[in-house]
Amino acid sequence: MSVNISAQTEAPREEEFEVSKRPNQLRRWAKLLLRSKTGTIGMLIVLSVCFTAVFAPFLAPYEPDAMNAANINVPPMWLDGGSSAHVLGTDSLGRDMLSRLIYGSQVSLIIGVFSVIVAGIIGLAMGILAGYYGKWIDNLVMRVVDSFLAVPNILLILVILGIFGSNMLTLILVLGVTNWVIYARLVRSEVLSLKERDFIRAAKSIGTKDSTIMLKHILPNVFSSFIVISTLSVATTIILEASLSFLGLGIQPPSISWGYMLSSGRDYLATSWWLATFPGLAITFTVLGIIFLGDWLRDVLDPRSQGRK
Amino acid sequence: MKQEQPLLDVRHLKTYFHTENGTVPSVEGVSFQINKGEVVAIVGESGCGKSVTSYSIMGLVKSPGKIEAGEVLLDGTDLTTLSKRQMRKLRGNDMSMIFQEPLTSLNPLFTVGFQISEVIVLHQDVTKKEARQKTIEMIEKVGIPNAEKIYSNFPHQLSGGMRQRIMIAIALACNPKLLIADEPTTALDVSIQAQILDLMKKLRKELETSILIITHDLGVVAEMVDRVVVMYAGKVVEEGTVYELFRDPKHPYTKGLLESTPKIHERKDELYSIKGTVPTPANMPKGCSFSPRCAFAGDKCREQQPELVQVNSGQKVSCWLHEEGEVSLHEQKQTAAT
Amino acid sequence: MKRYLIRRILQVIPVLLIISFIVFSLVFLAGNPVALMLPEDASQEQVEALTESLGLNEPFYVQYGMFLGNAVQGDFGQSYRYNQDAMSIVLERLPQTLELAAVSMLFATIIAVPLGIWSASKQNSFVDVFATGASVLGKAMPNFWLGIMLILLFSVNLSLFPVSGRGSFMHIVLPAITLGTAIAAEMTRLIRSNMLEVMQQDYVRTAQSKGQKDSVVTYRHAFKNCLIPVVTIMALQTSSLIGGALVTEVVFAWPGMGQLLVQAVNARDMAIVQACVFVIAIAVIAMNLVADIVYRLIDPRIKYD
Repeated sequence: MSVNISAQTEAPREEEFEVSKRPNQLRRWAKLLLRSKTGTIGMLIVLSVCFTAVFAPFLAPYEPDAMNAANINVPPMWLDGGSSAHVLGTDSLGRDMLSRLIYGSQVSLIIGVFSVIVAGIIGLAMGILAGYYGKWIDNLVMRVVDSFLAVPNILLILVILGIFGSNMLTLILVLGVTNWVIYARLVRSEVLSLKERDFIRAAKSIGTKDSTIMLKHILPNVFSSFIVISTLSVATTIILEASLSFLGLGIQPPSISWGYMLSSGRDYLATSWWLATFPGLAITFTVLGIIFLGDWLRDVLDPRSQGRK
Repeated sequence: MKQEQPLLDVRHLKTYFHTENGTVPSVEGVSFQINKGEVVAIVGESGCGKSVTSYSIMGLVKSPGKIEAGEVLLDGTDLTTLSKRQMRKLRGNDMSMIFQEPLTSLNPLFTVGFQISEVIVLHQDVTKKEARQKTIEMIEKVGIPNAEKIYSNFPHQLSGGMRQRIMIAIALACNPKLLIADEPTTALDVSIQAQILDLMKKLRKELETSILIITHDLGVVAEMVDRVVVMYAGKVVEEGTVYELFRDPKHPYTKGLLESTPKIHERKDELYSIKGTVPTPANMPKGCSFSPRCAFAGDKCREQQPELVQVNSGQKVSCWLHEEGEVSLHEQKQTAAT
Repeated sequence: MKRYLIRRILQVIPVLLIISFIVFSLVFLAGNPVALMLPEDASQEQVEALTESLGLNEPFYVQYGMFLGNAVQGDFGQSYRYNQDAMSIVLERLPQTLELAAVSMLFATIIAVPLGIWSASKQNSFVDVFATGASVLGKAMPNFWLGIMLILLFSVNLSLFPVSGRGSFMHIVLPAITLGTAIAAEMTRLIRSNMLEVMQQDYVRTAQSKGQKDSVVTYRHAFKNCLIPVVTIMALQTSSLIGGALVTEVVFAWPGMGQLLVQAVNARDMAIVQACVFVIAIAVIAMNLVADIVYRLIDPRIKYD
């Protein structure tokens, strides 16, 4: 009998969301992707940035830290004074811009992805707890959410980094801890509506444990909107990280970050414009790709957004 | 039976929707007339193109829809040739429209008084005070007491029936020659439906307005209509006076529609329903578009499209069964059953 | 209305309490600030005396209580760098930040409203493609980079506008464009998608069937309805708007709270940091309240209880 019951409660779960990992689904997704121009472009950009980050040592023509006092502020090759030895020129210490840009993608992606994971886990947990249990837990969580919303993210991050100093790990944690709110709000509202659905009620009525319901029934159902928000959130986090580096509180040298390159290039704006320009282009390009991909994912995964763009 | 010039003369109207997945011919060569003071109904299942026909007349077809061919003559002027500006002068003034959903057809952010006076100010040369006075008269005319107070109410403060009355007030404020009512009672409670129909009948006499009713409710048809146009899959399949049509439907589809309506004096255990569904443009049959669902369809029906032909003084039908003289459907049915 | 306002204001109290708790805990964890406040050659006795007089030997909850008591009176302590009441320094900078925010908002509205409406009413036209593309690009560009690029183009190369600082009208142009672009990008997208939805509504068709001009249908009947969600969502973005303003201020050396704050963080001037956080939080909450009231004024369907 117990076997029967669990089979019944499982059934609707599989109908509700078909998590598509099977190989024949892969082709379906590829087809869907190719149908959208911006989605395809986004995917290509994201893949190429990931590729660059992973194979940076093989792609970069120089060591990113190799200085050359004789060769400082060399302009890009297509300008007067540029040479094909340094395609995008060199910076104020004679380091090759292209190599540094290639290595810089690592920091952006690592921080972007991992801080979103941290934020996602906290937000998911808080959102499910608040939505599922309601009452005072919900009240408490939502007031904390309100508080975080009332303080600009970057302000809180600045304060924390100012106090504790910044390295890769603290940066990831801080960006995660300050960003969880959007997930919590999203997940909570999804859970609130899911809770009233028949298959959750059925599970409850036969005495399934709360933790089982949350993990096996609710979690998979909020997954698709979660993925959409996460993707778009990687984009904003990359910009946020760059802003922090710009303010002098992000990743510190010798780590290479686009934001830091940009802010140090700012001092040479009058003479060597490429120092501040290229890192900014790299950020814009990467973020653009992620936004395109995220928008496509939303169109595909979130039925409510259909027809809207 | 030629009379004087009809008020509205729709000739071979074609309205197509050009979507990403191909062209959808919503209205495929529709013709009919409305004489002055007449009430005509277009009936048919949802998706048969009856609403699109009415929007085409009003010039309100939204992109990707487009009037491809045909003429819409209002008092002798072809509306399809008018500029946007000329059309705007007619809309709300010479012809106006009420819609199915009174709940969403009024703008939630403006008072009902404003929404009625808007159309008066637009088409008539009146002062603000006169417009207000006229608006209040209109509110009273559509049977709402306390007009002064209602004037400054917002739509959400009124019931569905009241809101439909306001819509009627907007539509009739400039005393149009033609009123198009797209399913005016469908969204309302049964008791309210009768009231709204009574109101339309009363105002029609008072204002001498011709009315085109779009409906699938044969009850509404029997209640107030003079002549009926039956549409199926974008085409007119039958046309006749209400009396002729109810007494002796010529087209099997019309017959099916009538039989699927419950009647109090002949109770049946099971209501008749027409088998199948309206064909989609993608699988539109070659011959008569009703042939796949028709119990009487022969080879010719599946091969060739029948024309709309006059079968007696007031009745037209588009069906091969009537091509060679009049045959009663009752007899046909018996032969088909055996 | 009154009761609604009172209830809304009461809801603010727990939010401010939570913020105060978070900020105070952070500062508490930062450790003893006394060393920063005294000259470098101060003796051990002097350090202990100041620690004692500031109550920094008390346990966490006592210190938090004291902090709260003072904060309620607007007292966040002395800034050791300016030797002045921290709150009054912050409030001195507030108008400059508000000025920048307001001008940017104005710039964004002037751009976004027509662009959003236009691109929604001519879907897939050139204007629409341009507007959608520009708004995605505006979102993808780091704000401070746009600022730097504007300086490069208009100040360094064309010498049209001053590089930084505040003074004449010319000084505010570039910062306002920088911050305004970010706002406009979001606003255009919001207006476009909401207009597309509103234009499908039955009441828009009703207005058309009255013979109303397209422009009146669009602005009077559709846009007013579209404003409700747009105002609400834009208000929710106040906090990121202020965040953007902080960074923009640093780019252009605009003497507002952002610059003050970044300097204070770098110098560990915690009194100023705390005062800044509170002023900003209250500003954000106030903006949301104002937006709430505004859209209740637009929409007659919402009642005040």
